[in-house]
Amino acid sequence: MRPSDAHEVSQLNELKINVGALMVGAHYAEAGVQVMVEQMPIFGGYAGGLEETTIVDVATTINSFVMLQATWHLDGPVHVRWGITTAREALAVAGHAARAIDKHTHLMLGNQYYTLAGPCTLMCLLETAAQAITDTASGREILSGVAAGKGVVTDLFTAMEARFMGECAHAVAGMDLHEVNVLLDKLVAMYEKDYKTAPTGKRFQDCYDVKTLQPSEEYVQIYNDAIQVMTGLGLHYWDD
Amino acid sequence: MKAISKGVTVYDVYDRAKSGPKMEEKDWDFGVIPKTARALKKKYGIKMDKSVMIPEDEELIDKLFQAGIDMLEECGVYCIDTGRVIKYTRDEILNAIKNAPDHFQFGEGKEAHTVVPRSYDSPVYPIIQGGPTGSPCSEEMFLPIHQAYAEERIVDTIVDGVMQTVMGKDPVPGSPWEIMGVRSEALQVREAQCRAGRSGMGL
Repeated sequence: MRPSDAHEVSQLNELKINVGALMVGAHYAEAGVQVMVEQMPIFGGYAGGLEETTIVDVATTINSFVMLQATWHLDGPVHVRWGITTAREALAVAGHAARAIDKHTHLMLGNQYYTLAGPCTLMCLLETAAQAITDTASGREILSGVAAGKGVVTDLFTAMEARFMGECAHAVAGMDLHEVNVLLDKLVAMYEKDYKTAPTGKRFQDCYDVKTLQPSEEYVQIYNDAIQVMTGLGLHYWDD
Repeated sequence: MKAISKGVTVYDVYDRAKSGPKMEEKDWDFGVIPKTARALKKKYGIKMDKSVMIPEDEELIDKLFQAGIDMLEECGVYCIDTGRVIKYTRDEILNAIKNAPDHFQFGEGKEAHTVVPRSYDSPVYPIIQGGPTGSPCSEEMFLPIHQAYAEERIVDTIVDGVMQTVMGKDPVPGSPWEIMGVRSEALQVREAQCRAGRSGMGL
């Protein structure tokens, strides 16, 4: 690891810590490296509902800079029922917390991505797009993902999701906030009805050529379908 | 006018974790956290609409920030190992915010990115950190998977996955194999970045 790499240490849910994390923090402080402090508040967990979880998220984010002298904070509000960061409520918590901190401080913030659907599916890309748009238009500095299929299945993720995360972020940077909110409401409505039947998707080795590192024709087609959806919602990033 | 308090250090935090008020963890989880959050929601009259993902109401934004500061000041942070609460003063919280970094460098050489604060309406792109984000990754696929991320030009830095085995062994936390596992992950991400022609890329 180099000093310019992100050195990670995590808080615990909600507003908790262990001594081991403080030891890691002490090591980073003495080494003078870039420190990234992570925490994923749970919507529907100890804090409660939307407003309570957002208040806890703001407090947790600020604590990273008080307790562990973070360089930046990696957020990740997660839905207690679905275990994802792309649910409407999780996005609302992230968007409100980031905007509140963005307005009042210069703190640098990231967010991490856990989708319900797996790679090589339209749903996975639309979930990714919704969060990338929320994060970019609420003032976050770093987008970190994507752990597809809730990040629990071995090799169930690919670089195509990261590409879409990046392209959607670039597409909305600087866009009018009200237009973004209208777009997001429509976009989330497209996939949130499918949670119970979310597609598992395909592992890296099942939708990529593992030697040339090229995505399969099937995935490229699905990616193009996702671009069509986003274009239909009013983003023109992919226009010729 | 008054003197600015010294910044809190991780050493101060540890000392407070040994001397702060005693509490049962379940009282923290099911009492202090929900009750304080609920009381602050009521105090500030905070109401969110989940059809609006990013707030446009400036008053709501201000209330959420003040409630978050209050939450941290009123509750503090619970240390699960000592069973005690680490408390901060409001000045300490505000000073930590004021003194937090306002820029940093991610990566090196031609792959270096200077990260600076960007606002919600900024046309500046956020940093794209691509990778499995801690998801489980097979030992066999670790290198090609991470190389594929490094080859995406829109990806600025890598966030790696967790290698499920190292030399066929389970890198159990707290065992020597954990050290081998973590080292192997870092070395293979660096190799993946080099193979993509992006050796200075951040991790």
